[in-house]
Amino acid sequence: MSKFNDSIGLQLITNWMAEKGQAPFPFQAKTWQRYANGYSGMVVAPTGFGKTFSVFLGVVIDYLNHPENYPKGLKLLWVSPLRSLAKDLAKAMEQAVNEIGLDWSIQVRNGDTPTNVRRKQERLMPDVLLTTPETMHLLFSMKKNSRFFKGVKCVAIDEWHELIGNKRGILTELAISQLRAYSPKLQIWGITATIGNLEEAKAVLLPYSKLKITQVKAKQKKKIDIISVLPNEIEVLPWAGHLGGKMVDKILPIIEAHTTTLIFTNTRGQAELWYQLLLNANPELAGLLAIHHGSISKELRNWIEDSISSGYLKAVVCTSSLDLGVDFKPVDCVIQIGSAKGIARFMQRAGRSGHSPYERSKIYFIPTHSLELVEVAALKEAVKQEQIETRDPMVLTFDVLVQFMVTLAVGMGFDSQKLFNQIKETHAFSYITEDEWQWCLHFITKGGKTLSNYEEFHKVIEDDDGLYNVKSRRISMLHRMNIGAIVSEANVMVKFFSGGYIGMIEEFFISKLKPGDSFILAGRILELVKLKDMTVLVKRSKAKKAVSPSWMGGRLPLTSHLSHFLRLKLSDALEPGRLEKELRFLNPLILRQAKYSHIPKADEFLIELIETKDGHHVFMYPFEGRLVHEVFSALMAYRLSKLKPLTFTIAMNDYGFELLSDQPIPISEENITLLLSKENLMDDVIASINASEMASRKFRDIAVIAGLVVQTQPGTRKNNKSLQSSSGLIFRVLEDYEKDNLLLRQAYSEVFNQQLEEVRLQAAFERISKSKIIIKHAKSFTPLSFPLKVDSLRGTMSNENLDKRIQRIKNQAFKID
Amino acid sequence: MIIAEEHIKVKGEILVLTNHRAIYWKRENALILSDIHIGKTGHFKKHGIPMPDAILQKDLERLKALIVHFKAKKLVVVGDLFHAEANKDMSTFKSWLVQFENLKIILIKGNHDRLSKQLMSDFNFQVETELELSPFLLVHEHLEQHNEEFTISGHTHPGVLIKGKGRQRIKLPCYQVTNKQIILPAFSLFTGLNARSEPKNVAAYAFTETSIFKL
Repeated sequence: MSKFNDSIGLQLITNWMAEKGQAPFPFQAKTWQRYANGYSGMVVAPTGFGKTFSVFLGVVIDYLNHPENYPKGLKLLWVSPLRSLAKDLAKAMEQAVNEIGLDWSIQVRNGDTPTNVRRKQERLMPDVLLTTPETMHLLFSMKKNSRFFKGVKCVAIDEWHELIGNKRGILTELAISQLRAYSPKLQIWGITATIGNLEEAKAVLLPYSKLKITQVKAKQKKKIDIISVLPNEIEVLPWAGHLGGKMVDKILPIIEAHTTTLIFTNTRGQAELWYQLLLNANPELAGLLAIHHGSISKELRNWIEDSISSGYLKAVVCTSSLDLGVDFKPVDCVIQIGSAKGIARFMQRAGRSGHSPYERSKIYFIPTHSLELVEVAALKEAVKQEQIETRDPMVLTFDVLVQFMVTLAVGMGFDSQKLFNQIKETHAFSYITEDEWQWCLHFITKGGKTLSNYEEFHKVIEDDDGLYNVKSRRISMLHRMNIGAIVSEANVMVKFFSGGYIGMIEEFFISKLKPGDSFILAGRILELVKLKDMTVLVKRSKAKKAVSPSWMGGRLPLTSHLSHFLRLKLSDALEPGRLEKELRFLNPLILRQAKYSHIPKADEFLIELIETKDGHHVFMYPFEGRLVHEVFSALMAYRLSKLKPLTFTIAMNDYGFELLSDQPIPISEENITLLLSKENLMDDVIASINASEMASRKFRDIAVIAGLVVQTQPGTRKNNKSLQSSSGLIFRVLEDYEKDNLLLRQAYSEVFNQQLEEVRLQAAFERISKSKIIIKHAKSFTPLSFPLKVDSLRGTMSNENLDKRIQRIKNQAFKID
Repeated sequence: MIIAEEHIKVKGEILVLTNHRAIYWKRENALILSDIHIGKTGHFKKHGIPMPDAILQKDLERLKALIVHFKAKKLVVVGDLFHAEANKDMSTFKSWLVQFENLKIILIKGNHDRLSKQLMSDFNFQVETELELSPFLLVHEHLEQHNEEFTISGHTHPGVLIKGKGRQRIKLPCYQVTNKQIILPAFSLFTGLNARSEPKNVAAYAFTETSIFKL
């Protein structure tokens, strides 16, 4: 112990920090020591507290103490999910090694790295390489890539919480397992923000029993001020979006009072709308207000990010595109418009302001309808209790596995048994069976289970010494283009007719427009001229009004943690605490709800039956988020239609759902327990939804990741045209001919885990079965039901077979498109 | 396999539209179809994209059933019989053909039919770029130059989107019929649907596994 404390490396570093008037945080010092003692582990620290320097300097200190243990070339691999972070991180690391007097080279390698730099790196790797999970896999697809990694001592996985819940996390798990195969003594360190399942996160990152594993947690906590902005008057019948315009006047003074403000909205469409609203309300903001989201060109986004850093911009309207990334020093205020949908996301966004260790973060919450104020109360409670959502790891994602297998086959080739043992050690594939493994092998060598071996299928070939290889250059090329686990929507590029790139937009949206139509993108009103080669050519429009694009992925559901707190807050809304100004403000609404219906207590489940001239409505309020309500409502419709054949119109939001029918709906005190029973839950769910269609949607990503669909890059002239097919078509074909295809099965299990949120649904029914069920009849809409009524997301439920359905639709005065 | 039929009268001729993506023309005792794309699965497989063999098998089974059902003597393919280069699927097709000794096959060349002359001659088809079979002109793709004639073509893989109340949408393959032309659906099940392009004043005949109906 004392040996490390007296070590020359540690002294050098502490002296260097002291010169700058700093001292290491305890968690940094602890990480350094643990690293020196050969541990792998996970560092848990909020952003802005020097988490980078915990692991990075740990490696530097160990190197200074034992340079003989470190060979020439790559020593530390830094894997981060965010490309944009790498540049700034590299700069900070470079500054540190220069000041310490170390001759290390620190370089970035990702999709933006120019070819000549890459070639140089391939001749001699830098001492520290900052990269992404995808680039790691691209490196594995190179011939003789093991020479890059033989001497690597440490791999650091930054922002692990961002990776763990998705397929990029699987890419990371596989990359680590491959690095361990190259460099068995590798130390693995994860760096994460606080999430609800830290232990699990650690086990997923570090499943290797032979490693010495530790966890270092920073004690520092970010202080957050949550300020809700109350509208002037309360609407007792709220509806989503109607507050928008009125709240603009409340936002302007906030922007005025701060140096730089980030304004978060939930969707790109909303960002465009608020940008226009703010500019119209205060034209002087022109040039000082910017808009930033994922569909805006990279150049423009870079410019915006630089301008935030330099303090040039007064405010930026953005989406989750700015949730993460470099810290912008001038940002001293964050505004959240509408529900943040989750506690972690809300805290993360708040943390974008006042980023340095001892500053407070300040976030204003702007409700888009008054009920959202209950959410603020819920958020405050959750933050106080430090209850944060979990990020659940995915498992058995065969699409990523077959991609990885082909990647290795394109690279150095692999031995089946060795690789099987290797991936079985990872968390994601610890439960893979021998049969499943053989299926994957078969899939890449023979093209799946086919009637006969197709001798022309030459993707991966087992050569004479038993190694699986890819020989065809064309297949290697196609595969390299396809490496990764982020599948973008079918996007098209938007360009000015006169030249000049504006951004990306979904093909789905643009396909509905005709030349001459106007739409909004990147804060500009544009007129569609024509669509050609996956590129939309536009010119400036003189129109005053235009459609704002809707991006499909836009709707995030409320997380279960937040909904839990929401139910609690609503239940004591009738007697709000002295300091809960949101609930106090809402009092008239709450009173109306209590008078005409009921305020559900935490152990109650409210059902409202309302009859209007539209028909017979049933409202139920599980408060479980939009996705669960989608399934819940379909299930209720199914169970009700067994009592009486009925067709329903269904609407839902994050709080509850509505079933509407032209005939009376048979719900009573007597049958309600049965309707809400948890018996046969999943069987009824499967019967009530179109699982095949949902799976077909999930299959899109899977088909791309597994290499079944060749992606066309937007903007490029169509190539590989004879290889184009839609994932929907392949899905149908596999459903018809290869029911036991693992990728198909994966699509269904993703539906159950993600779309249906099976676990959460079960838990909800469990809770409801223990709750007291309250049925209320009302003459008109209540404060809780009204926003639902107005919500536009509608679906219809139907269980008939195709022919019948067509018949009925035909009879309903069909319209042909 | 249920063969549903819709009889239409065009230019004095009775044409039978089937729900299995082919038209039967009684006068000529011919089956007219388009876009079989034989070799598509093979082409995908050759490029490392696995596809079940059964796709081609199923297409050929359907074709056989139609030939037997109508006792057709002639098969007119209005283009895209083959998908890409020669591959194993062609030999599968060739050996399948052996059972129809007396079947005359006419191919109107499509944009995908790039097989060399030699390979084509291997098959003993009559190959044309377009074919006048009065009162119709058979072409792969209806172009402006054909505006004076009544064409039967394929190429576009027509489909139709049927919208119902409350966001119900179903996309089905269809025949597109106007007073100037008929566009055939793609015969192969391994093809996409194009619901966006349609000629003016079109009547669409959509179909399912079991039925066919006019919209």
